[in-house]
Order: sequence, then C-alpha cells, then structure tokens
Amino acid sequence: MKIINKYKKIAVFVGVLALASCAQEEQPKESQLDYNQPLKTELDKWIDSNYLVPYNINAQYKWNQNTVDNTRFLFPPTLDKVKPALEIVQQIWLKSYATIGGADFVKKIAPREIVLVGGVNSNSNGTRTLGIAEGGQRITLFEVDNLNRKNRAIVAEFIHTIQHEYIHILNQTKPFDEQGWGKITPSGYTATWHLETTAASRELGFITNYARSNVVEDFAETASIILISTKAEYAAILASISSAKARADIQKKEAIVVKYFKETFNMDFYALRDEAEKNTTNVVNN
Amino acid sequence: MKIKYIFRYLVVASLMLHFTACTDTEVEQKFDKTPTERLNAQKSELQEVLLTSPDGWKAVYFTDNKQLGGFTHLFKFTADGKVEMASDFNTTSTPKFTSDYDIQLGSTVSLVFTTKNRIHLLSDSSPAAAPTAALRGKGYLGDFQFLYYGQDNGQLIFKANRTAGDSNSSEIRFVKATSQDWDDLSKNFLMIPNVIGSNVFGANRGLEIIDGTTKKTYDFNPYTTITRFGSYTDITSNNGIGIGYSPNGIVISPAIKVGDQMLSNFIFNSADGSFTATGTNGASASIKYSNTPFVISDDYKNFAPGQPQRVVGYIAPNLTAAQSNSVLCRNLIDKINAGLPATQSLARVQVVFNNAVNGTYIQYLFNGGKATITHFVTTEVNEANKTIILTDDGWTHNAATIAILKDLDAQLTNPEGLYIKKEAFTIVASNKIYTLANASNNGFRITTYQL
Repeated sequence: MKIINKYKKIAVFVGVLALASCAQEEQPKESQLDYNQPLKTELDKWIDSNYLVPYNINAQYKWNQNTVDNTRFLFPPTLDKVKPALEIVQQIWLKSYATIGGADFVKKIAPREIVLVGGVNSNSNGTRTLGIAEGGQRITLFEVDNLNRKNRAIVAEFIHTIQHEYIHILNQTKPFDEQGWGKITPSGYTATWHLETTAASRELGFITNYARSNVVEDFAETASIILISTKAEYAAILASISSAKARADIQKKEAIVVKYFKETFNMDFYALRDEAEKNTTNVVNN
Repeated sequence: MKIKYIFRYLVVASLMLHFTACTDTEVEQKFDKTPTERLNAQKSELQEVLLTSPDGWKAVYFTDNKQLGGFTHLFKFTADGKVEMASDFNTTSTPKFTSDYDIQLGSTVSLVFTTKNRIHLLSDSSPAAAPTAALRGKGYLGDFQFLYYGQDNGQLIFKANRTAGDSNSSEIRFVKATSQDWDDLSKNFLMIPNVIGSNVFGANRGLEIIDGTTKKTYDFNPYTTITRFGSYTDITSNNGIGIGYSPNGIVISPAIKVGDQMLSNFIFNSADGSFTATGTNGASASIKYSNTPFVISDDYKNFAPGQPQRVVGYIAPNLTAAQSNSVLCRNLIDKINAGLPATQSLARVQVVFNNAVNGTYIQYLFNGGKATITHFVTTEVNEANKTIILTDDGWTHNAATIAILKDLDAQLTNPEGLYIKKEAFTIVASNKIYTLANASNNGFRITTYQL
C-alpha cells in the first residue's frame, strides 16, 4: 500500500507537469491577410441587388484564374458589356422561370455563380464552347463581348447557351430518365458530331448536331431549342424533317422533357417556352 | 516487488517523455518577417510603385519570342483600381481605354488586368484572331496576369502567369513611360514599312554583328508583319527574332549577345534603311543592305558540271514581288515586258543545269503564245569565289529575236559568274528558294524556285 501511495503522488505530480508543461503557446492574433471588401462600383451594386439578393447568385465578371480553364486563351468581358449581358440573362431566363416555376424556383435550383468571359472558347476540333455548367453550381458563359441585344440571332444564341446550361444544372440536381431517352435514337450518337450538319441530324431524330454528342447533351439541346423557339418556329423545324420516324423520335424526346418538367418541378414546359419567347421579344425590342 | 518495479519504470518512462516533449521546435529564421508579412509587403510595394510614375508605365510584351514579336503597351494606374491602357497591337488599339486591374495575392503577388482592355487582344482565341494556322485557338499566346518579381533600376519585373513555370520564359519589364510615349504610340506603325524593308538600298539584307574587333554576318530574312517575327541565318544557324516597334526603330527579343552585352534596341537610319543597336567598346549590331552578299554558301557545288540535273526558275507572278529580287533585276524584267506586245509577258526564267541531253541552258518562257527561247551555256566553277560561271554556247533563235532578253541574260552569263544560294525562307509555294546573284556584286539578284 505504501509503495502504491508513494507512486500515486508521483503520478499526480507527473500528471500536473504534463498538463502545465506546454501551456505557454502563443495565441493566434488577428489575421495578417487583408480581408477588406473591395470598393463596390455601381455595376457591383447592381449585381448585388439584381442577382445576389433576389436569387442568391454571384455574377462574376472580373478575371479570376481559379474559375476558368487556364490552358485556354480567354479574356474577361469589357466592362460595358457586363450589365447588358446580365440583363438579358435576368429577363429571359430568370424571370421566365420565376413566373412559371414560382418566385423561389431559381433561388432553390440555380447555379450559385455565373461567370462571364468576354472571348471565344475555341476547341482543338474547330468548334467553340459557348457555355459550361459545372457540378450544378456554376455556369460560365463565353463570348459576352460579342453580345448585341438588338440582334435577335446573337441574343438567341446567347440565351440558347444559358437555357442549355441551366437544363444541365436541373439535370445535375434531379436526373432525367437517361436509359429511356437512350433507347429512342441509340445509334445516332457520335464523338464527331461537329462534322455533321443539323439538317442531317434532324433526319436521324436529333434536334441539332450537338445533340448527337451524348444523351445528356441531347436532352439539354432538345429542351433548350424548344425554349428559344416560338411555337411556330418549332413546328416549322418539325415540318422540315422528311423522315416520319425522325420526327416521331424528336417528339418522343420532347414528351420526356415535358414530363420531366411536370413531374420533377411541377412546371408547364410550354408555358415556360411562351414566357421566354415573350421576354426575348421584350429584350430585342427595348 | 513486482508492482514497485512496474511503477518505477512507468514513472521513468513518463518523465523521459515529458523532458523530451517540450523540445524547442523553433527554427532559426532566415528572414526578419514571416512569409505572409513578406507577401503583404510585396503587395503593398507593387500597389504603391504602380502609382508613382506620373505618366504611367511602358512594356513591350513578347508573348513567345520563338514565334512572335513584341507589342508595346502603355499603362496608367489609379488608386481606385482603374487602369488606362493603349497598345500598338493594331491601329484601333492606340487610343486610351479604361478597365479594371487588381493586385492579387496567390502563391505570389500578381498584377491582373481583370476586365478587358488592350492587353487582352493578345489572348483572343477566336479563329479570325489567330496569326498563323498553328496558333488557331491560341491567338497571340498572351497573358494578363503578371507575377511580380521585384524591381531593377526603377523598372518593374514581371513574368506571365501562364509561362512563369517555364525557365526560358522571358521577363516583362515595365519602364516608366513619358507623355511623349503616349503621344507617339501610333508612330510605331510608321516603322513597319522600314522593317519590311526595301531593296532600293541594296540587293542583300543582312545582320552584321561587330564585337569591337571582329565582324560576323548573317542574312536577314523577309519579315512577317502578322507575327512580327523574322530570322537571321548563316550557313550553320537559323535564329528567330521577335520584333517590336518604336517611333525611331525596333526592339528585338531575344536580344543579340555581343561579348557580354545584350543588344536589343535598334535605331532606324532612313538614309540607308539600316537599323543599328550600339553597345559599348565598339560593339554593335546592324540590320543593313549591301550589294555584296552577307553569307556565301557552298550550294553552287550541287550545280557544278557532273552533278545530277537541277532546275531553278523565276516564275511570275509568284516571285514578281519577292524582296530578294534586286531593283536591277526588277528593272530588267520590266524592260522585257515593256518591249513585248500587251498580250504577252515573261512567264519564267529557268536555268536547267546538267540536263543529260542538252547540258546546261537558260530558258525564257512567255505568256500570251510567244515561243520559248533557249540559251545554251557551258558551266565552270570558281571554287575560290564559290561561284558558277555560265558561258554562251548558242541560242535557239536569231539575234533579232533574242535582243529583248540580252540585258537580263548578260547578268546571268556575266564573266564573274553567279552566287547560287538556297535561302532560309519560302515564298507563296513550299518549294525551296534559290537566289542567283551576279558575283561582280553589281546589285543583280534574282529569286527562283527549285523545280
């Protein structure tokens, strides 16, 4: 017992030493990094009140090497091209979805960041990448410097890009029936889609040549082409196809898109198209 | 006893742990400040120094001096994150334009031009902006995030973020600009015709490098304005150089090494069309003209008697405007055309060497239905002079018919002979270019394709 008591005392002493010995470490001080918010310009304030506050989306137009592919030769947009581009996105895309899907729809399922790039994103096969959607979080839009809101074709291409990329974001959030879709035109997909024409691709049951790259792009192209076309324009596209099977295949895909919007988001896809069409006309005419 | 030992060992082990546990791990500081403090200091240093030059900064940006030239940029920074910029990229980029810049802290401090301005013209990947087919999708390989490497003699040293990892990547130096620099920027374009050159100053254009005592000469080859890139060659070397313009001359990269001096700033002399960079102790480099060749090759040997057949030919119109046709050559061709009916013109001047049946002969071919005229010659080489001498051996036509060709023919058959040289450049077609020059150095030089 004696011995145990003696060692008990020593053990307590050692324990105290252990707890006290390394106690004089320096406490962290204030950060040496500069966390001051940069001064906000009028444009920054506009973005805050039109994107950040209502939709929780950060619209980034200044160059940040971490949000772009540095192996490509890209450049940021010209300052006075930023607001017009964001206005187009706001009016044609955000407002259309807000009207049809409900005020909170885009707020809940939206990219958290829109990155604007001024220049062309050229690929080695000679094609241009117009937009990229990443992980349901970020949409990058290219060629902002070429945007001219009075030119319907340019506006349509730009909006095509954002509608297309947003479909990806929706798909990345809630998947569509990829297997069912893949059975409609299984043999038409090709890695060399850029060597095909859209006219020939339509005769095989694809809305564009790019739709032939894979099932996911096919879905996004089918949905976005319908969204950027008027009802009459889309009818004309279908009417221009001579193969009855191809036309029926595109309509089968259209039905999956409509069902996806209805069942997944309780949204009337055709009403969305009409709203987008109305807003596009507003943008081009005003 | 057993328990006692166990406790003893435990206590000893525990104490040993404690005495070693608090070993001082502090390392001797190599710097006075922490890495963060040093980065912060560098950031504020750059932020401040950018604002110190009243007329801003000038930089000639060579994005890749192995294939492209330099583009002069002027920058004026303000404290609110704005930068005014102008460049000599093209005639529409010389007016000032305002955009944003930022000093960013990453692995190092960098100056970033965050919204579009003139400098971004160098990173336009649209197909129409590609200077060459090989650069499709890459534009002029430009960057606009510059890593800060400190200061040297009041100049700010940067490297492009894109290529900073490459040990061969060149520095981008910001030097203090003057108001004159801004006023004169568009005068850079006036220098372009001088860089392209004019053969009124001589049949040959070369680069002459003098290190104070000895002279080394190269051919200075035709210059491409779209890439702002040229080359100088001799028998054994082919050296590319990127060129940037200034109101009174050019800046080149890589610089020319003369002894331990690097020469890169060349001043134009309108009297003789030369560009000269002058160093110290008699060192200089000069791009200049002469009727005497700068480089004499051994290519004549392939055309000597006994060699296989070779044909070289001047072909209109592909070679009509070739700068390597001397003024004398052009005048003689013009004179022939002027003497022909309006529907006819000289199409080719071909020299067939060592044909198995007819030996060596000069053929004159015409557009507009005129029959080919042939001048048979004999050949001999002069190894000392590295020339081939063509001597008259009869014509296919009579004296009256050949009269129109006499003057041009006299240059090719002159008694001093011809320098025949394979050139380092091509024109229009991919065929090798040979030039034939009168070895009396009278200023006659004609450009031909190897056929």
